[in-house]
Amino acid sequence: MKPLPHNLPSPHVRGVGPRGFPLRLQATEVRINPVEFNPDFVARMIPKVEWAALLEAADTLHLVEVPKGPIEGYEHDEKFLRQMHHVLLEVDVLEGTLQCPESGRLFPISRGIPNMLLSDEETET
Amino acid sequence: MSDVQEATKQLLDVNLHENWRANQVTESGPRSESEHLQVTIGATVPTGFEQTAADEVREKLGSSCKISKDRGKIYFDISVESLAQVHCLRSVDNLFVVVKEFKDYQFKETKEEVLKDFEELAGKLPWSDPLKVWKINTSFKKKKTKRKKINQNSGREKIDNGQGDKTDEKEDKKGFTNNTLDSHILDYYENPAIKEEISTLVGDDLASSKDEKDEKEETHPKVLKFRVTCNRAGEKHCFSSNEAARDFGGAVQDYFKWKADMTNFDVEVLLNIHDNEIVVGIALTEESLHRRNITHFGPTTLRSTLAYGMLRLCAPQPTDIIVDPMCGTGAIPIEGATEWSNCYHIAGDNNPLAVNRAANNISSLLTKSQIKEGKVSWSLPIDAVQWDICNLPLRTGSVDIIVTDMPFGKRMGSKKRNWNLYPACLREMSRVCKPGTGRAALLTQDKKCFTKALSGMGHVWRKVHTVWVNIGGLHAAVYLLKRTPQAFVHPSEQDGERTPWCKE
Repeated sequence: MKPLPHNLPSPHVRGVGPRGFPLRLQATEVRINPVEFNPDFVARMIPKVEWAALLEAADTLHLVEVPKGPIEGYEHDEKFLRQMHHVLLEVDVLEGTLQCPESGRLFPISRGIPNMLLSDEETET
Repeated sequence: MSDVQEATKQLLDVNLHENWRANQVTESGPRSESEHLQVTIGATVPTGFEQTAADEVREKLGSSCKISKDRGKIYFDISVESLAQVHCLRSVDNLFVVVKEFKDYQFKETKEEVLKDFEELAGKLPWSDPLKVWKINTSFKKKKTKRKKINQNSGREKIDNGQGDKTDEKEDKKGFTNNTLDSHILDYYENPAIKEEISTLVGDDLASSKDEKDEKEETHPKVLKFRVTCNRAGEKHCFSSNEAARDFGGAVQDYFKWKADMTNFDVEVLLNIHDNEIVVGIALTEESLHRRNITHFGPTTLRSTLAYGMLRLCAPQPTDIIVDPMCGTGAIPIEGATEWSNCYHIAGDNNPLAVNRAANNISSLLTKSQIKEGKVSWSLPIDAVQWDICNLPLRTGSVDIIVTDMPFGKRMGSKKRNWNLYPACLREMSRVCKPGTGRAALLTQDKKCFTKALSGMGHVWRKVHTVWVNIGGLHAAVYLLKRTPQAFVHPSEQDGERTPWCKE
């Protein structure tokens, strides 16, 4: 699971308010996959990034050299784009957890697949 | 369209002499005679997606297509040099080279006369060029060891790992030529399930590879083996497809002195009869291309060609987020990640078996890519998640495209369950889908339930197009929906808080 989908999740546990997002990522096993650098693709992903979530993920994954936010003229800044490329596409969490900061609910990540299923009680509206 | 027919007519009127050079214009000096050959190729595509396939042909080959009245078939002209690229088309199931087309065949009155005509026809057809094309096409493929043909039934069946893997050889070759059209490369794919090593040799320089192959190719033995497959559709025929195949086949055998073999053949001659339209062709694919991406099948695995068609309907743009919230074995996202690798694909399902299969299929794909690229480990823009379609862990309005195969309620789920599931799905999908620009392509056989569920959602979903398709004998539909500009508002009071996050 790459940090990007983690970027997207929202709290879907009923009874949990907006602060439930972002889910806190903890990883016990991470793999780095080299991926061909496509500056155009990365540049276009930048507006979709939820920075607070990404920075927190980068922190827990002990990733260095992660930009703190979009910089002026990032579309042409190769160094910036390469750093983003690395954190968005080359980091793969194989084992770990995603935690809802509000409810504390843990969602396991196993073999790269997060299990986001809720129990029946949790889905009760 | 008429110039295609004109060109076809011209080409097919060429007589059977080997020395066809007189009829072709070659700008450069003497080269391999097969290089500038123009041929008409026929392709079978999922019914309903003929236009989508025609668009792909125009986009990738620059040729315009004729869509046959015989549903599920398209025809286009190419020069033989483009043959490798034809195999890279992702919307076609099977390919054949047209020997001759009869637009308005006059059938005689009695069965005996009709069958006699077919017998006489065999010797009068312009076989020469199509056979050249067949030869070149065969040189793309390694000779195979004997193995069972997998069930060509489209759509839904249970197939174990072993058989599923075989078709990947095709995918290998196809996806491969897609990426590296300009070098000789050796490709190995080992199938652990059936412990068979399959390799494919692909040459871009047709002339030289052809010469090389001629020596080694088992398909140039003294006597070729063949079979005739006849498909007949129409009310007024006084003969059966078996009879036509038998008699036509007999004449073909006499003419070429080939050996007839129904299962282990080199040449498959196609006799397609649709009312008064007859097309004689030679098959260029022996196993359908449609199971190319999937090594681990589930009970309802979708054809890759259908998955491609559905994705294409949504016109993915670079960096679009494309989600399949009921992915099963992952056929759709995997096809998506392969063809639209500048988009991000998410495969999700609530069933752990399904998610595991999807993850395995993704791994298989990665392994193949790895082998092809030869060097470093490689990654695809695709992830798998286990989730509940009714409670997607995705931010409101964050998804650009949703493509999925909804449970029909026949092999998976039940019709009764659909009455609750479908509205809930549509609602949750409308939440995550981006207002204004988002779109969805949803396949289902339970059209009644879907239509009813959709009728209550006019404020968020607008139906723009319906494609009628045939899935394993079931009449299904692909509904193309556009997400209206209206922001999602959740009925419950607590989710009133969600909307402030709706980023625009």
